[in-house]
Amino acid sequence: MKRAEYKVPGGKLLAAELGVEEGRLVGVKITGDFFMHPETAINDLEKALCDILVEDLENNVNRFFQVNSVTLFGVDAGDFVKVVRLALES
Amino acid sequence: MKETWRLIDMRIEDAPTQMAIDEAIAMARLKENTPNTVRLYRWNPSAVSIGYFQGIEKEVNLPACEKYGVDVIRRITGGGAVYHDYNGEITYSIVAPEADPKMPADILESYEWICGAIVNGLAELGVDAEFKPVNDIVAGGKKISGNAQTRRHGVVLQHGTVLVDSDIRRMFQVLRVSDAKISDKLIKSVEDRVTNLRRYLGRKVGFDEARAALIKGFEDTFSVALEPGELSDAEMRLVKRLHEKYSSREWVFQR
Repeated sequence: MKRAEYKVPGGKLLAAELGVEEGRLVGVKITGDFFMHPETAINDLEKALCDILVEDLENNVNRFFQVNSVTLFGVDAGDFVKVVRLALES
Repeated sequence: MKETWRLIDMRIEDAPTQMAIDEAIAMARLKENTPNTVRLYRWNPSAVSIGYFQGIEKEVNLPACEKYGVDVIRRITGGGAVYHDYNGEITYSIVAPEADPKMPADILESYEWICGAIVNGLAELGVDAEFKPVNDIVAGGKKISGNAQTRRHGVVLQHGTVLVDSDIRRMFQVLRVSDAKISDKLIKSVEDRVTNLRRYLGRKVGFDEARAALIKGFEDTFSVALEPGELSDAEMRLVKRLHEKYSSREWVFQR
């Protein structure tokens, strides 16, 4: 299991926990003290990032926030990409 | 004549009950059969509440909570972990529809408006506090109140903590603060990040005094009169149901 934390400067804390199997993300779990409205969207985001190729990460995160009506405070879409990448590098 | 909102005043309950009451009022308000409501309350036993998205093991020193008899609960709102010290903390909550003419449509502006009531309440006590976006209130550069909001089906629920005489040492025995979290802050230790009314004012502030100041802050800022009331039977039924959710391991340990 890979894990990383990322404190958005002036913003909130994000953490990602995940595995990689055959180049694909598995078991992605995102935690932190950020705000996301609606809150339940976090489960959909985690699902949207599971079983995708590592190189498709950024596209999938961006698509998720384009397609779904989600409001973020303390973090932005790019920060989710960043924390997952940090976890991948861990 | 001033608009009247309901005040549910200084109920002392355990963590699952407090969180169930906040959500129950929001659910009942949705059906428009309850008034806009402000609550002030205390947690007995003392408890740690964590934000909806937080990992419990990462944020909470569970053995320390066990040792000191501190409850642990997950909120429906995002944000960070809070230590609700029975002997030193007041929590408030406010429930009102998004469509209320007074409620700013923009979420950040609504944080500022609601936190303004706390800032004004603290000013009554002689505290020069200010709102610090997204969701903090600071006095003398230190956090004295943290706040969290959710919006569901057109209803705004915001709750927050006011540190009156919280045991800050105990706070950081039961909370875990990662190095990353304070990595962009120029502070020596987490204990330097927070203050309470007693530390800031250099005198003991009783719950009655703090309560009265907060009530005045809400009334002045919202231009309403707060009228003491009770939970309706429908709300009580919801509380009972939601209490089960909030006490369940599935809910508390979901992340």
